[in-house]
Amino acid sequence: MRRYGPRVFRVASRFFRQRSLVEEAAQEVFLKAFSELGSYEGRGSLEGWLTRIATNICLNLVRSSKRRPELTVSDLTEDQTSWLENKLAANAGEHHNAVERSLVAADLAGKVLQTLTPDDQLVLTMIDGEDASVKDVAETTGWSESKVKVQAFRARRRMREAVEKLLRPRRVNNKAAIDTVR
Amino acid sequence: MRNEHIIDLIENSPMAAISESELTRIRAHVADCSPCEQAFAAAQVSAVLLKEGAAESFEPSPFFQTRVLATLRERQSANEWSWARMWRATGALASSMLAVVVAIAVLTFAAPSVSNESEVSLAGNGYSAEEVILNQDGSEDQVTDAQVLNSLYEADEEK
Repeated sequence: MRRYGPRVFRVASRFFRQRSLVEEAAQEVFLKAFSELGSYEGRGSLEGWLTRIATNICLNLVRSSKRRPELTVSDLTEDQTSWLENKLAANAGEHHNAVERSLVAADLAGKVLQTLTPDDQLVLTMIDGEDASVKDVAETTGWSESKVKVQAFRARRRMREAVEKLLRPRRVNNKAAIDTVR
Repeated sequence: MRNEHIIDLIENSPMAAISESELTRIRAHVADCSPCEQAFAAAQVSAVLLKEGAAESFEPSPFFQTRVLATLRERQSANEWSWARMWRATGALASSMLAVVVAIAVLTFAAPSVSNESEVSLAGNGYSAEEVILNQDGSEDQVTDAQVLNSLYEADEEK
């Protein structure tokens, strides 16, 4: 448990933004692993086996919890609002490799991801967030590689649309401010 | 270029995986296309958010292992208890079923022996079943017509 705990916590952190929920999920993973240790055939690594169990348990937990239908600007905190404004002003991702890692952004990411399906969350967090390959996701989830690609493509679209809704009012405000200055 | 929207291009792969030549093409397009420009900005923010979100992960607390082991023991003992309870319930069910079977057997085989006993007791009195029946139908206790007439005339003569 000491050896694989961080790995299981990392997987659970892909789905949950609260420590208590992450711990709860990780606990379920280890309890299931203990009870099903006999079914581990030793073909792959123990870490891979645990990762698959963790992913399945987290997916089921997220599926059973209520998903936010939509995120609106009013759901954002003041910090998150100003973070978005700053990103928009700085043309966001132009410097995304060098951006500061902030809790505000992580919380906002969690909020946006919560509006997506658990499958979307997983595939986006792994591929776009952790730079995992399509093959890695396929091995973790048991999906085919083509399914992973299609899922990622659609998930990016849904995430982009959710973010666009949050940015739209700011763009209008920014444009109005620029017009006023002119 | 104006009509070749870049939305599919920005959604085909992670933002970090878009090549420099593709980025040049995207920038050239979004300069003239407002919907694509908005989509590109949102995709960039999405990419930053996903990176930030992935960077945040929790570590197990010092008491995590103790808590998991305690829960494991708790669940195991709960399982054992439920097995024991189920075993006891099965035992009780089997006992009651056995009692029912015994009761049915007693009723089935003991009832004819009661009629035999009555036959034996009748035989002990010196009567066979046939005699009892014949006796019931017999004329010993019946009064003859002559006796009835005699008794009537005797009564009239006394008057």
